Amino acid sequence: MIDALFLTLSALAIWSGWRVFRVDSMVRASFLLMVSFIAVGLIAVLLAAPYIGIATIFMMAVEMMVMALFMVMFMMNPAGLNPMVMVHQHRFAVVAGIVAFAGLTAAALLSDLPSRPVPESAEVVRALGHELLGPSMLIFETAGVTLLATMIGAVVLSARSGRYGDSDAGSVPPGLTPGGEPAGRKPDDGRGRPHHHGGQ
Amino acid sequence: MIAATFALLLSLPLLVWVAAMFDRIGAGRGRVVMAPLQNGAALLLRPNTETEAPDQLNRLLAPGWYLALALVGLSVVPFAPGVVASDIATGLVLWGACEALTVVVVFLHGWSPNSPLPLIGAYRYVAIGLPAMLLSMFVLIGAALPAQSLSVAEVVEAQRDLWNVVRQPLGLPLFMALGLAITLRGPFDFAEGAELAGGASAEESGPALAAWRFARAAMLVAFSAMAATAFLGGYLGPVLPGPAWLLLKTLAVMAAAVAAGRFFARMPPARMLTFLWVVLLPLSFANLALVGVEALP
Repeated sequence: MIDALFLTLSALAIWSGWRVFRVDSMVRASFLLMVSFIAVGLIAVLLAAPYIGIATIFMMAVEMMVMALFMVMFMMNPAGLNPMVMVHQHRFAVVAGIVAFAGLTAAALLSDLPSRPVPESAEVVRALGHELLGPSMLIFETAGVTLLATMIGAVVLSARSGRYGDSDAGSVPPGLTPGGEPAGRKPDDGRGRPHHHGGQ
Repeated sequence: MIAATFALLLSLPLLVWVAAMFDRIGAGRGRVVMAPLQNGAALLLRPNTETEAPDQLNRLLAPGWYLALALVGLSVVPFAPGVVASDIATGLVLWGACEALTVVVVFLHGWSPNSPLPLIGAYRYVAIGLPAMLLSMFVLIGAALPAQSLSVAEVVEAQRDLWNVVRQPLGLPLFMALGLAITLRGPFDFAEGAELAGGASAEESGPALAAWRFARAAMLVAFSAMAATAFLGGYLGPVLPGPAWLLLKTLAVMAAAVAAGRFFARMPPARMLTFLWVVLLPLSFANLALVGVEALP
């Protein structure tokens, strides 16, 4: 039973992970990645790690939702339902993928994995909590504060308001050819803004 | 465990019917008792709407996922000591995962028809739904602290002397905000507002709309049962048997959620976002600090 579940979930994780690179939309890619992570989370539940497994599902749902939203906000072609190519740097990606796959497979097959079934009565969640807030506290707190600082930095950089005025003031759209004229309507007064937007 | 699952599956349609009745009391939307059934039957006879180039799979599955999340969320609620459909040690985390996935499902429901109004509803909902969900996690950690466990059964047992609603008075009102958000109602209904002509569901009709409305009511049932369990002592109570107490408390929370949805006005999304991050989230931190100080030996 557990073996069948494990095989099904593994197949789902691999299939949805592969689909991430085959679909043509950021939103679909994000949520296929989420499905892949959910399958991995459920495998962790099978491995008697209920907290880590379910927390993975929880975090990935939030994370992929935020990722889909930010992709659509910040990309030139958001590709909600409009098709786009989802892969870049083909040759490098193929080589990196093969090397990573070979390395991980070798690590899984060659290393001597311990076989210690978790006893039914073990309090795994409590043990995890003692580990996180005990010996490993420094590592997790460092990672946590670093991530928080990164998030605050990202919000500050992407916010419209700034120290020297609105971030989009005086901005021009990118050119249609590299280094070419800005796309869009030509300004009438030579100051980079059309008349009907002026008045400041 | 199997008996609890059957009880849950049998009682859910009836409770969904009751939720639909609550929604119609005093709202001038037809006869209170029969209208939900009549409207549901009428929807089932109508055709689904077609849109141009939709994401068929997600459009078809979104109501099913919504209902499934309500069921999984409800399954961690114990009906009586030891009687629970999914008896796992991390029930509160599982409920949190259901909340987070609800935001995803509502987004997909609005995104998949490939139509402007549902899409606007979906994006607005994500912006409001994520902080509301974040806030509920801090509140639930507060409920778990006196029990020193993430298991929902332990959270109920820890309330034998004093219910969490008394011990941590900020908890239930803050959790209600989450309830209004994941059931798309009242002040947190940024997905399906009337100003977007139905928003995320603007393009839906027929059986798809009936399924979505059923799932939304089922989520209200699941939320009410969870709130009753985490803050009102769940099945605990004198004289009456445990499941009866749980049912009464669930109905009370459900009525309160429906009333709150009617009573409070909806703010513009930007102002609501500020309100959530600047007022409600710090309040949930204050709640957590209070509970933590109290739980210190």
